[in-house]
Amino acid sequence: MSVILNEVRRATYLDSIVLMRISRQIAALPGIEEAGLIIGTPANKEILRDAGILGPESDGAEPSDLILALRASDALAGEAALAEARRLIDHPSALGAAAAVESSRTMRAAIKRLPAANLALISVPGDFAVAEAHKALELGLHAMIFSDNVPLDDEAALKRKARERGLFVMGPDCGTAIIGGVPLGFANVVPQGDIGIIGASGTGIQEVSCLIARAGRGITHALGTGGRDLKAEVGAITTLMAIDALDADDRTRHIVLISKPPAESVARLVLDRVAKSAKPFTICFLGASDVALPANARAAATLKATADIVVGGSAASWAQQPLPGLGRGGLVRGLFAGGTLCSEAQIIFRQAGLAVMSNVPVPGASAIGRAQDGQVLTDHVMIDLGDDEFTRGRPHPMFEPGVRDGPLAEALADPGVGIILLDIVLGYGGHPDPAGHLAAFLGRWEHRPLIVASVTGTDADPQPRNAQVETLAAAGVIVADSNAEATEAAIAALGPSLDRA
Amino acid sequence: MLDRADVVVPILRSGVLAQDFCRRRARATVEAVFERSFYLRAGDEFICVGEPDIGNGPLTLIGHPGPLADLDLAGRPVALGGGHILIGNSIRLSLDRSEAWRSPPWPVCPSPSRLIETCSALARRAAIDAPEEGLARHVCGIGEASTHQRPLARIAGPRVATFERWLFAVLARGRPSEDAIQGLLGLGPGLTPSGDDFLVGALALLDCVGERDAHAALGRAITAALRGATSALSACFLRAAAAGHVGETLHRAVSSIIAGDVGAAIAAVDTIGHSSGWDMMAGITTTLRVAASTRSSSSAYV
Repeated sequence: MSVILNEVRRATYLDSIVLMRISRQIAALPGIEEAGLIIGTPANKEILRDAGILGPESDGAEPSDLILALRASDALAGEAALAEARRLIDHPSALGAAAAVESSRTMRAAIKRLPAANLALISVPGDFAVAEAHKALELGLHAMIFSDNVPLDDEAALKRKARERGLFVMGPDCGTAIIGGVPLGFANVVPQGDIGIIGASGTGIQEVSCLIARAGRGITHALGTGGRDLKAEVGAITTLMAIDALDADDRTRHIVLISKPPAESVARLVLDRVAKSAKPFTICFLGASDVALPANARAAATLKATADIVVGGSAASWAQQPLPGLGRGGLVRGLFAGGTLCSEAQIIFRQAGLAVMSNVPVPGASAIGRAQDGQVLTDHVMIDLGDDEFTRGRPHPMFEPGVRDGPLAEALADPGVGIILLDIVLGYGGHPDPAGHLAAFLGRWEHRPLIVASVTGTDADPQPRNAQVETLAAAGVIVADSNAEATEAAIAALGPSLDRA
Repeated sequence: MLDRADVVVPILRSGVLAQDFCRRRARATVEAVFERSFYLRAGDEFICVGEPDIGNGPLTLIGHPGPLADLDLAGRPVALGGGHILIGNSIRLSLDRSEAWRSPPWPVCPSPSRLIETCSALARRAAIDAPEEGLARHVCGIGEASTHQRPLARIAGPRVATFERWLFAVLARGRPSEDAIQGLLGLGPGLTPSGDDFLVGALALLDCVGERDAHAALGRAITAALRGATSALSACFLRAAAAGHVGETLHRAVSSIIAGDVGAAIAAVDTIGHSSGWDMMAGITTTLRVAASTRSSSSAYV
């Protein structure tokens, strides 16, 4: 049977936030059906009476007194809650530790719980992301917008507003950032160092930062910009701010910029800014050709080349294995979780003079239709499984490797496919054991083409890379040290007689 | 134990009512100590001593008293005089170089239709952003369904409606028949109850839009009913607002509303307490709605 317990604290003053937090904490205790902690005004006694928790102990309470009133399922639970309330009222600082991990329904509530926060990570459906980002900026927070499907005009407006306030908007569709060693979104455990990365691409940042880490170097910050920041409509607002920030950061001695090819006018803006810096830059405009760079910048055609330039040698140390001859077919089918890794593979195919098709083609590659259109694939094909076509209403393959199972089964069953090229992307936010999933899936297929994979990650990741590589190797997968090397190995295995575009 | 005046805290700015308190009062007590501020009490009067980030206010002395929070000040006797405030035997607040602070003049109001649009925009934002605990969500018309209302919302609803009818009558130059503030005083959670904050917001808005008669009438109704209805601390803020004195953050919120800048208004109220700022917003928007609908052709607006 329920019991009602009241306790009056004479002339007790606690600020409103503390009162609210104690109230919520007590109400959430086991066996507590209703609880309130309010000052003893006549109007508040009416509230408690209406809630059915006003006891006779509170009759004499004055407006400057504090009333703790609760209804519990039994006396034991009620007394325990009163004891906890007394402790919190006497020592409100005890609320602090718990508050940091409480969830908040709104950004404003969150910032009240964590007033020193200066960045909001926004991951809500795209329709709502713009409003949340505006709120973040109005609260003086930098915003990292993980969400996609944000209209380009809204992105530009948000970034202009942020710039006026001296704040960053990373994104929309910003999957990766590492700020002062703190990973945000999909990111890997990489050491601190002296290299700053600015990337319009999540997996691009991941691949380069992991290659740098595996070469024994580290990064200061990795700042995501979102894939459209270098479009003319946006004008590279975040990229330029990121360059300013890393240029001013004493610990950053080398700056890396990774992006799809920018609009010409925007490229000029960015490269003019690069030229004003005294620091060396490595610029990877994936798929671009003949970009005139300032003297302090070097161009890199691929992510692997970017890492090689930055570390001053080969970032990866994979001694390419001689692959066995193709048992069947002559085509390569790439099935990628990382969009930029898919682009990089296409670029390497194009550099090798091979025709390639993709659902997200780079310049020089051909577009393929949607998967359900039943198009017969007669060329080397690189598919970005993170593209909207595959992820609308479904998880991204980096969360859920099963998204790849269907296209992989098709490729395994296609007699024209001689090599399947895969990526495994590790780190925070990713699946706990993508290699294990892949190995189990492949174990069902007795006859299969060569399978070559790369594993983006480090041994310090939540899914240690070395263990993931071992799992893949045990399943007969050939594992390269980088996506570029995996692609090059696949091309080498095709042999010299193949038709070159 | 600290020696005499071991700690000297220069007061940088003094609200006009706090200055007056320091001139009139010789003795006080440290009544309440919070993380960034503490309150001195003499009789039914309170003043606040706080860090700059709490914002200027009519009852506030601004300095850097932060380290004092560790000194177990609550209950200590306070002596005032000679430009100093001596807490116990060892802590001295120096007013020598303090600047007087009073809230700046209100901006000129735009047309009532603009104000109504702003009201609607504020209500939409309040539905999402206002804390669950206060009045704002309910007053802005987007509260929970009536069968699931919290007790505060159930009780406050009719009282806010009563206030609106009273205000409508006053602004229409009629004779209000109901008590303007019946049951709102002392109603709700917080150090300053939600109902009190609501009324402070209403007073600020009436002052801003130049409705002097209504402001005076509401001020009289509040001060007449204060005793026993709410805490002495909250009553001080109500009396100040009735006399035309509000803190700079509330002033900024009201000025932003008048300027049609919803975002700035919300940013301002959101920094006042947990739900206090939003409760003030509820009072502001309620009053604004009534004022805009009754005085659309009044010369009070330009």
